Amino acid sequence: MKLQIKRLISQIILFFSANLGYPGYPGLKTGFCFPFFYCQACPAATSACPIRSLEQSVSHESFTWKLLLFPLLILGFLGVLTGRAVCSWACPIGFLQRGTGRVARKVKKFPLARKLGTYKAEKYFRFTKYVLLISLVFVTSYLIGFIFTDICPVGFLTGTIPVLILNPGKFVPNYFFPVALVIFVLFIVLIFLIERGWCRYFCPVGALLGPFNKISFLHISVDTKECVHCNVCSYECPMGIDVPNMHRDPECILCGKCVTACPNDLITFERSGR
Amino acid sequence: MKKFIVVQVCAFVLVSGLLGGMFAFTPVYDEVRSGIVLVLCLSCLKLEPKTIADFTFETADNQPHPEFVLENLSYGPVFLHYSGDACAGCDVMYPVILDLFFINFGKQDMFHSLVPVENSTVAYIYVNIHHTIDELRDAQPIYDKDHIGGIPMFTIVTLGYDNGIVKPNYTTLYGTLTTYGCDTDLQRLVFLQQLIRESIDMYNENKAGYPHH
Repeated sequence: MKLQIKRLISQIILFFSANLGYPGYPGLKTGFCFPFFYCQACPAATSACPIRSLEQSVSHESFTWKLLLFPLLILGFLGVLTGRAVCSWACPIGFLQRGTGRVARKVKKFPLARKLGTYKAEKYFRFTKYVLLISLVFVTSYLIGFIFTDICPVGFLTGTIPVLILNPGKFVPNYFFPVALVIFVLFIVLIFLIERGWCRYFCPVGALLGPFNKISFLHISVDTKECVHCNVCSYECPMGIDVPNMHRDPECILCGKCVTACPNDLITFERSGR
Repeated sequence: MKKFIVVQVCAFVLVSGLLGGMFAFTPVYDEVRSGIVLVLCLSCLKLEPKTIADFTFETADNQPHPEFVLENLSYGPVFLHYSGDACAGCDVMYPVILDLFFINFGKQDMFHSLVPVENSTVAYIYVNIHHTIDELRDAQPIYDKDHIGGIPMFTIVTLGYDNGIVKPNYTTLYGTLTTYGCDTDLQRLVFLQQLIRESIDMYNENKAGYPHH
């Protein structure tokens, strides 16, 4: 079976597994944290958002070590084994972006988009997700009680919208709603314009998983000695990585598109070692 | 190469050991389930429930009233305040409640007080679902009359007369009370004062027939 078909099946299975919590059907509400970005406010969600647990652990100058360690260890467990593969093989938002990526790929062909994609500052803009993680998940939660979840576009998509649809007339927007709506619209525009735009620049769970690529058992390996630098792999990479020159890049989501694309089979999944 | 594999194995053993230990020896799984998954923060949901503040005898799913509520009901109406950590709506309502009863306590405390209100007593119980005991946390779905499953949530239990029997009668409010026309702290305070006054009147009318009294 082709690698990308396997990945699609994995994404579909994980999407349904993440949504077994709808009351009575079968109503499986667990005490786990998702190892990816998904909202517990989704009426069908089976687990908690790791970001929510982290925010709660440092809420209002308090510190609850259990709520801090719990999501970090779940992410760490998978991170050490598979690095950031969760983003491309399991995350429902990654699955969504797999769909929107087709449009983004067409947009990429426009000269302006290509120019922006090769802009030097682009690689620095990727640090935004780390800044978001530290500032809105930890710092503001600790100091003033404002949390990322209040304006989270993923929460809006998977929590707010389904709740409104399933309970017509039962809820009205609160004061965070207009801001969250604007961010949600920008999120939608982003994922249609830039392939994996959310994962590249803003996903705080991706920021938590990224560093694990440096030590994960599973990683992508390029045979640089034999590589002819045709750059087919880089063109196919949804994260816009310079694949021939990468080594355990924190941005790599191990989707395997470069593995499939390499005409000389020089890119492979490795299970351990450097 | 070998050193790197040692690092990988050590990291894996450390993380999996800690994770396994956490499941086995700490209540974190139950805390996440009851505190994050089952009870939602309404402000995080960016929504306010559109409910009516009317009193009813029927608890959610017809569950019995918890014993601690029935005991406190012998002093006067019971005001249950459900709150949580990292919840902007809870932060909005917290000072309103302090002003309402002229009391003071920490957001992560467990707090219970018999508060004098207009020649009567109101039993005020503060429950931060992330820092409480199971008995108090488990009462939250019992009074979730509109099946919202979110915090902040406020329940006023008083006494009512139903087909010849005096029974606990309650109402539940959700969120920051904007759906009840309260946009400022003062409006919230006045609204809650009116509701408490109403519950005290109902209590005084019916307390003689309450068996726990």
